[in-house]
Amino acid sequence: MLSKQHFIRAGDCVWEIPRTFRDDMRVPARLYADEDLLDAALTDNSLTQLVNTATLPGIIGHAIAMPDIHQGYGFPIGGVVATRLPSGVISPGGVGYDINCGVRLLVSAASVEAVSPYLKDLASSIYTNCPSGVGSHGHLHLSTAELDRVLHEGSGWMLETGRASREDLDRTEEFGRIPGADAAFISDRARERGRSQLGTLGAGNHFIEVDKVAEVYDPAVAARLGIYPGNLALQIHCGSRGLGHQVCEDYVSRFQKTVQDYGITLPDRELVCAPFDSKEGQQYFHAMACAANFAFANRQLLTHMIRKSFDQVLAGKITGYQLQQVYDIAHNMAKIEEHQINSHAVRVCVHRKGSTRAFGPGSPVLPSDLCDLGQPVLIPGSMGTASFVLMGTEEAMRQSFGSTCHGAGRVMSRAKAKKIIRGTELREQLNARGILVCAGSMSGLAEEAPQAYKDVSRVVEVVHKLGIATKLARLEPVAVIKG
Amino acid sequence: MNFEEIEHTADRAFRVRGRDLADLLLNAADGMHALERIHSPGERFALYDLEIEGIDAESLLVNWLNEILFIEQQHQLVCEKFQILELNGFHVRARVETRKCNDYQSGIKAVTFHNLKVRKTAAGLEAEVVVDV
Repeated sequence: MLSKQHFIRAGDCVWEIPRTFRDDMRVPARLYADEDLLDAALTDNSLTQLVNTATLPGIIGHAIAMPDIHQGYGFPIGGVVATRLPSGVISPGGVGYDINCGVRLLVSAASVEAVSPYLKDLASSIYTNCPSGVGSHGHLHLSTAELDRVLHEGSGWMLETGRASREDLDRTEEFGRIPGADAAFISDRARERGRSQLGTLGAGNHFIEVDKVAEVYDPAVAARLGIYPGNLALQIHCGSRGLGHQVCEDYVSRFQKTVQDYGITLPDRELVCAPFDSKEGQQYFHAMACAANFAFANRQLLTHMIRKSFDQVLAGKITGYQLQQVYDIAHNMAKIEEHQINSHAVRVCVHRKGSTRAFGPGSPVLPSDLCDLGQPVLIPGSMGTASFVLMGTEEAMRQSFGSTCHGAGRVMSRAKAKKIIRGTELREQLNARGILVCAGSMSGLAEEAPQAYKDVSRVVEVVHKLGIATKLARLEPVAVIKG
Repeated sequence: MNFEEIEHTADRAFRVRGRDLADLLLNAADGMHALERIHSPGERFALYDLEIEGIDAESLLVNWLNEILFIEQQHQLVCEKFQILELNGFHVRARVETRKCNDYQSGIKAVTFHNLKVRKTAAGLEAEVVVDV
């Protein structure tokens, strides 16, 4: 078990576990946290999981953990692992079951004050139009050919079918389509699970949240993104649903044998992996890209349905309510990127599991209108607490493979949360604070209580202080829709 | 009880015991169901025959539980009354009765291999299973 004495303080809010800590570590491990967040991380097995990731073949730099780190399975949540290509490994567990789980932020020119008389109807309409729950089915029934196009084209298919705008795609990571997708590597079972789930929210910590822009830290940049104090904003948090879960399950299961074939020894079987340039590594990458595209399309279809709800409830009542997209970002993904390491450009596979890409100004992968600003980063808080919009930085490119945190991070188990918190009481408490809640399951609501999470403001302060993302705006919730 | 929930920060986990591998599989199915949010199953539905294999006890256990989850989530069913027809090494054939469950809300996305080890104990076998929610 790790304790504070095993860490070297490598800087303000930077804690390092040297490579000598364990014989099987290939690189040191690094945690970005203040002292309290370090203490919180020491209460579960997340830091042991971080050390485990430092053993992966081909890892370079550091095994990195963000201040929202918490215990996951295999990799910790809040981890960043980059492996050198072509032979460094790719690990399905390093992406997770919910491939391309991510967040989308939309904003309106209407104020929350103008919308508030219609908020209950709006939340109710969104709850109806956006099915939720683990096994929920959507309104769209895809043929095999249509599903293949979603898997290959992601949000592009939504643009072609009138469910997205060009502006939506421009404001989506990778423009809503990860290259390299090949549906030949998706199992029939994954197709079966995904076919009816496009346009559904899912359960767990997934949500749709109507927010008020409570504070803006850089008005000029915020205005360029359409973010103004007092105005309505809306976040969508979900991923690739059963299709992504099945892709991960298929390859984690298959790779149990693959690691034996390649002679890879690991401290945890959930870390199974394959060399990126191997047949197996390539097959997983093609399948993962399909699931990632499905997730982009899923958030896009939810956006389309939410816009319908806005039209149904607000048309003719107020003006300027239409929603424009600020950005859509993944926080469970493996990406092929080029990073400067010791002044050399190196191609790497960056696993971000519960961490967010945070590319700074000048990045060639950003759309032209964001190139001088850097990439927006979306950090949802726990239910009932603030969320943040940050901007990516050049410092993130230097320190963390262009990555930053992804949310608040849990501190309390779901089992404990359910024992000590009643969903109905929590809903009443949130209502009393002016936050409307539509939820399918009261026990599910209790699991996601704000007490079960770290203070997101504190997490954000750490990354802001380190310069691996800078604060742009703070959002406060006014309505939450959950599975 | 042959299973109990154990603490896990972000996901869910349970410890399961069995006299032998067949018993462990049956009890693990019950243990997983105890974590799910299943409301009032309805009328009897079809019998399902399952045929699952793994490369070892751990992969058999994970594949078994994932198969049950798949049937339940895909068809809005609850599996009950499992019968192991044959267990040969790490290959199992089983039959399961199901009930319809129109408001099926499992809460579980997948069963993981995280730190999974099927251990021998004085009473038989034991494992700790982490599920993704």
